Amino acid sequence: MRSVSLYHHLLCFSLLLATHLTSVSSWKRDEFRNCNQTPFCKRARSRKPGSCSLIAADVSISDGDLTAKLIPPNPENPEDHSPINPLILTISVYQDGVLRLKIDEDPSFDPPKKRFEVPDVIVPEFLEKKLWLQRLSEEVIGTDSGPSSVVYLLDEYEAVLRHDPFEVFVRGKGGKRVLSLNSNGLFDFEQLRVKKEGEDWEERFRGHTDTRPYGPQSISFDVSFYGADFVYGIPEHATSLALKPTSGPGVEESEPYRLFNLDVFEYIHESPFGIYGSIPVMISHGKARGTSGFFWLNAAEMQIDVLGSGWDAESGIALPSDQSRIDTLWMSEAGVVDAFFFVGPGPKDVVRQYTSVTGTPAMPQFFATAYHQCRWNYRDEEDVAQVDLKFDEHDIPYDVLWLDIEHTDGKRYFTWDRVLFPHPEEMQNKLAAKGRHMVTIVDPHIKRDESFHLHKEATQKGYYVKDVTGKDYDGWCWPGSSSYPDMLNPEIRSWWADKFLLENYVGSTPSLYIWNDMNEPSVFNGPEVTMPRDALHIGGVEHRELHNAYGYYFHMATADGLVKRGDGKVRPFVLSRAIFPGSQRHGAIWTGDNTAEWEQLRVSVPMILTLGLTGITFSGADVGGFFGNPGPELLVRWYQLGAYYPFFRAHAHHDTKRREPWLFGERNTELMKEAIHIRYALLPYFYTLFREANTTGVPVMRPLWMEFPADEATFSNDEAFMVGSSLLVQGVFTERAKHASVYLPSGQSWYYLNSGTAYKGGRTHKMEVSEESIPAFQRAGTIIPRKDRFRRSSTQMENDPYTLVIALNSTQEAEGELYIDDGKSFEFAKGAYIHRRFVFSNGKLTSSNMSPSASGKSRFSCDCVIERIILLGYSPGPKSALIEPANQKAEIELGPLYLRNGRSPTVVTIRKPNVRIADNWTIQVL
Amino acid sequence: MKLRLTFLFFLLALIGRSASVPSKDLLGIAPQDEIYYKASSSGTIKCRDGSMKFTKSQLNDDFCDCPDGTDEPGTSACPNGKFYCRNAGHAPLSIYSSRVNDGICDCCDGSDEYNGNVKCSNTCWEAGKFAREKLKKKIATYQEGVTLRKKEIEQAKLTIAKDEAELSKLKNEEKILKELVQQLKEHKEQIEKAEEKERLQKEKEETEKKEAEEAQREKSKSMEEVPSQGQPMESENHDKIGLLENSPSDQDMGEQSTDNSGNEDVSNNEEQEDDAKKEEESPVAYESGPDSVSKEPKSLSKEELGRLVASRWTGENTGEQTREVDAVKDDKPEISKAPTDAHDEEYEGYDSEDESQRYNDDDDEEEERTEDFGQENHDDFSSSYKSVSDDELNLSDVTASSSPSWLEKIQQTVRKILQAVNLFQTPVDLSEAAHVRKEYDDSSSKLSKIQSRISSLTKKLNHDFGPEKEFYSFYDKCFEIKQNKYVYKICPFKQASQEEGRSTTRLGNWDKFEDSYKVMLFSNGDKCWNGPDRSLKVKLRCGLKNEATDVDEPSRCEYEALLSTPVLCVEEKLKELQDKLDLMNKEQPQGHDEL
Repeated sequence: MRSVSLYHHLLCFSLLLATHLTSVSSWKRDEFRNCNQTPFCKRARSRKPGSCSLIAADVSISDGDLTAKLIPPNPENPEDHSPINPLILTISVYQDGVLRLKIDEDPSFDPPKKRFEVPDVIVPEFLEKKLWLQRLSEEVIGTDSGPSSVVYLLDEYEAVLRHDPFEVFVRGKGGKRVLSLNSNGLFDFEQLRVKKEGEDWEERFRGHTDTRPYGPQSISFDVSFYGADFVYGIPEHATSLALKPTSGPGVEESEPYRLFNLDVFEYIHESPFGIYGSIPVMISHGKARGTSGFFWLNAAEMQIDVLGSGWDAESGIALPSDQSRIDTLWMSEAGVVDAFFFVGPGPKDVVRQYTSVTGTPAMPQFFATAYHQCRWNYRDEEDVAQVDLKFDEHDIPYDVLWLDIEHTDGKRYFTWDRVLFPHPEEMQNKLAAKGRHMVTIVDPHIKRDESFHLHKEATQKGYYVKDVTGKDYDGWCWPGSSSYPDMLNPEIRSWWADKFLLENYVGSTPSLYIWNDMNEPSVFNGPEVTMPRDALHIGGVEHRELHNAYGYYFHMATADGLVKRGDGKVRPFVLSRAIFPGSQRHGAIWTGDNTAEWEQLRVSVPMILTLGLTGITFSGADVGGFFGNPGPELLVRWYQLGAYYPFFRAHAHHDTKRREPWLFGERNTELMKEAIHIRYALLPYFYTLFREANTTGVPVMRPLWMEFPADEATFSNDEAFMVGSSLLVQGVFTERAKHASVYLPSGQSWYYLNSGTAYKGGRTHKMEVSEESIPAFQRAGTIIPRKDRFRRSSTQMENDPYTLVIALNSTQEAEGELYIDDGKSFEFAKGAYIHRRFVFSNGKLTSSNMSPSASGKSRFSCDCVIERIILLGYSPGPKSALIEPANQKAEIELGPLYLRNGRSPTVVTIRKPNVRIADNWTIQVL
Repeated sequence: MKLRLTFLFFLLALIGRSASVPSKDLLGIAPQDEIYYKASSSGTIKCRDGSMKFTKSQLNDDFCDCPDGTDEPGTSACPNGKFYCRNAGHAPLSIYSSRVNDGICDCCDGSDEYNGNVKCSNTCWEAGKFAREKLKKKIATYQEGVTLRKKEIEQAKLTIAKDEAELSKLKNEEKILKELVQQLKEHKEQIEKAEEKERLQKEKEETEKKEAEEAQREKSKSMEEVPSQGQPMESENHDKIGLLENSPSDQDMGEQSTDNSGNEDVSNNEEQEDDAKKEEESPVAYESGPDSVSKEPKSLSKEELGRLVASRWTGENTGEQTREVDAVKDDKPEISKAPTDAHDEEYEGYDSEDESQRYNDDDDEEEERTEDFGQENHDDFSSSYKSVSDDELNLSDVTASSSPSWLEKIQQTVRKILQAVNLFQTPVDLSEAAHVRKEYDDSSSKLSKIQSRISSLTKKLNHDFGPEKEFYSFYDKCFEIKQNKYVYKICPFKQASQEEGRSTTRLGNWDKFEDSYKVMLFSNGDKCWNGPDRSLKVKLRCGLKNEATDVDEPSRCEYEALLSTPVLCVEEKLKELQDKLDLMNKEQPQGHDEL
């Protein structure tokens, strides 16, 4: 019983500890290629403006498209690239102001290989929106020597193809340019060719060799945005919302923004380097012209330079100079030019136009919009039960409990560690009895273990991605030696989807949903921690050509699996880390392995806003920060901010201390609970916004300038954001902050959520901040629906009554919306929903139906009522209100703004109108 | 108005149907609170927080008027309210108002679900029966436990008294002995002075004699050494600290080698990983661009690279075998990392050397455990722990004989010596001189033993043993839990550890009691890679035996264990439980026939 420990000594331990602190490693820049180590990037970046001299020839209309051939000015005397075959250029026009430009090699010249075009990203409905071009006009523009071909695009917008040198642009009223391609003559297209004797195509990086059997095949070009003050977009990067220039005079030497899906260990908070996702969509915005957008559908590695003004000072190219302009340089390793121009002119127009191409965000299940509790790892069933119990003990609502990789049997997904989780169904059912859900992780790497049925099957069927020699590619990930299903192949995706059927996924229940991690794909021993570029997919497609879309296809297959499981009736929920255009159709995404630091809290806002601008609205950052231990203040601030993220999940690395909300003392528990309550109270509002995103593409969380496109002060603000059009939230990103500067956009006043007090818009307010909350404001003229009763989970809130918060503007008017459906099925798509519009004017609140009347076969009904109506900005006086058509009276009194402990400011309240949410009615203040 | 009436009717209908649901006014109100809601004569009731007033008709009208929930004890309207279920036949329960009419039966009498959306059957009687049985058992345990606890406290009092008596006796003896030692010292020094003088005088003559003298001195010196070996001398203590600074890495290396010897595969991987780590840590390997590129495949196989990268997230080896492994192994990167910062080369030499050394040390340790505690300690903490037993053993020849005679004997001897030895006799009587020296050495050795015992007793008595010193006996106890391949050792007031084979991980040193003596906290244990220092919380429960169970690691490197002991069986709690049982027995359901 006498434990003798001879060798330990406190002093020595503190010494050891000190040495450790210095050896903590973080992001390793050298492990990833920079532009100079990436030959195609280096070449493209070194090209001089005007070096492209291709000419558009044989311009004509065919099959409703404008087509042309791009040829060198003097085909007899080819310059730098020999031999050069003509390229085929196609311009198509779609409804709502979308121009599509394709440039590829001419198949009639029999190139060695068909270049890869990314399938299954463009939604079929988009193709139906094609306008069949009939006419083509020619004109000579300005001082040009040659002609240009012009086709109609939308209203006053036209698409123009200048012939010599070739240039494509969109112009609006008065011939003013909106967007253009190759105006700076940086276009370059490396054609596939046969290897010459003695030529070395291999590329080496840190001990990895890329055989590059097809040689150089990169594409680069410049895109100009006119009337632009800033450009935004091209996630995923941990950087500011308004993209900083990466090259040009006065710009510090910088890498281009890289789009290459990578599993970056401990990414840093300010960097143009590529992380988990790639969405090659850029949006420009300026006071002069409004908003426009550009999208290049290409899944190979991409690098994008934002060129600071004056970058081309010596080029001698004269672009129309009466318009402010931002030039950008786009470079990709492979693929084709398949680019889309969006004319705007408003921010929401561009988002709508873009999501008409790649699809609008899926409508999530209601529970998924609530709070998620995650950790690597909830260890066993008892741990799960304990955490669940603690939420109940503290009366903190939550909806989903997550299990990370340790729940599996040796990292074999679809299996359970039967020691830790002997009764998975029972565990899930226990949660489900409280209306809660569970999520388990399923990653794309499959353990190479002969006894693992999934591996056996995938091997037999030949479903794995192959290495350059044609053998199943063998990489290293969590389970050790692993292989990766070829998700490009629809047959394999369908096979994968079947694995989620209840009979196939042993231990799963209908309340179980899925998390796709590591789908960049992450390969621990691969080049740059991913798959070699010369690995092979179906049809001989090289991994380099589709790399950025691998995770997208995996996400798609998993979401399809859950749809199959629910017999096509239940909406899936799948969280993915890797992203590509179109990911919004398959589920939520999160910003990956962030760190518990204040700066990472700050950067989460521009990261999520940027994703929203490019279609991905259901996103969030790990609340608390994945790596490291947040102090209680940071954690509380993160909850306060995270409550407004579209996707609200707390997560932590397994080496961190436990950080469930009740572990930091009573006061902090109270604060985190309050933050979670705010989210639950606003769930009806959030859900309405998710529906808006689902129909229009407009994100739930928006940059201020999306709502106030004329207010220049908002253009580069990425510390504050809008939730919908009614709520403005300002983050607090510093420790022990006593004040926060909040810019409230002009035009309206704003009601401070904490007090109901109005603040003037169009100026910056220095607000006092307390630990209790971060500043948030309701815009005057809006109505927000709320539910003020809290339950264990969102599921039990279904029948609870609503509160309407009416924030009156200067003319004593306001309006808002509420969308409700069954929160689970696809019936809403057939019209089974309630969509109400609330308008307050002349002292009367009117509820009217927004859904197309009797359009759907399916109906949704709800007996919910409105129990309380709060009027902000209304002087007290009236004592009652008349409800019609019921002809009842409701009392008006001063009631609490919030039903929380402690004193609440009092506000004019219509008490218990108890009108049904589904009905038409009016409430007249008497 | 209509709606409110409907609601009332609905409630009335419910009340008519079910006897367990009180009237609307009283819904969700605890009996002791009924008075609060009846009290006012003006027809209004105050919100408890004083923020507002509400009328009787606003009580339980499903609209929240008081932010603190006073007006809606029986509905879910106020988020901060509480709903009281009577649960006749079982224990009453106060639940959050968020549970009212949420479709989930929370009260066993079903009173929380009255809106008709879900039917809850009354399960109070069955549940109550079960709960009462359990409670009765618990009470029985407490009853017995309370007695045991009293005994424990009495015993503690006796032991403390004994220890305190011993302490004061020792202090007394120390005082006397100190004086004697001082006298002997002076005497010895005088003799030595005389001898020195004599030596100088007779230096040139009688070489043979001198040799003999030398021989004699040698002899007496060797006699000195034997008993002094086990003495914790001041100077040795200083040396010890110097030695200790190396010990954790010794330990770590030892752990590693132990693991390695256990599994050939693992050891290979680990070594490789170590190499890989070094490669990574060394800035040259990564930053020198093209040069390092070609080097890399040589130093790392693909698999090793995979493991290496994985280890960044996990801080451990990702290999199948090792991933399933324990917290001790999780520390591997720490081990390989720590020294790299300093000097790689040194580290490598160190490595092999220490491994063998560690094995030896380990053997020593084993022997020590099985044989005796005679060896000197290297660890400050465990030394103090062991010194208790040390002194008990070594002092047994002096204290255990307990007759006052040993001290008197010494006193007498000293007196004799002081009288007998003629300092001015020349030549110095050699046997007498030796006698003095021996007497001095013996006495000072005894003194230091007594001093050490005093210090350990003082240290012990200074601990917080609880308001009634009820934990006194725990000072000399350790508790063991075997779980899978680990043995957890919990030594209250000292330290806690996790042992796996030969390797020991410290879970913490004794820190304090927490939660009014219901939790023992051990903190500042071995550092976790990328995590906190290990710590252990021992939750104490009333039980009839002192027994530790259920070690758990709810958060990485934060351990928890249960310890049942009669010491926790307090009388007040017993009374509370009995009251609870009485209440449960009293509140039989009137209409147990509802089902």
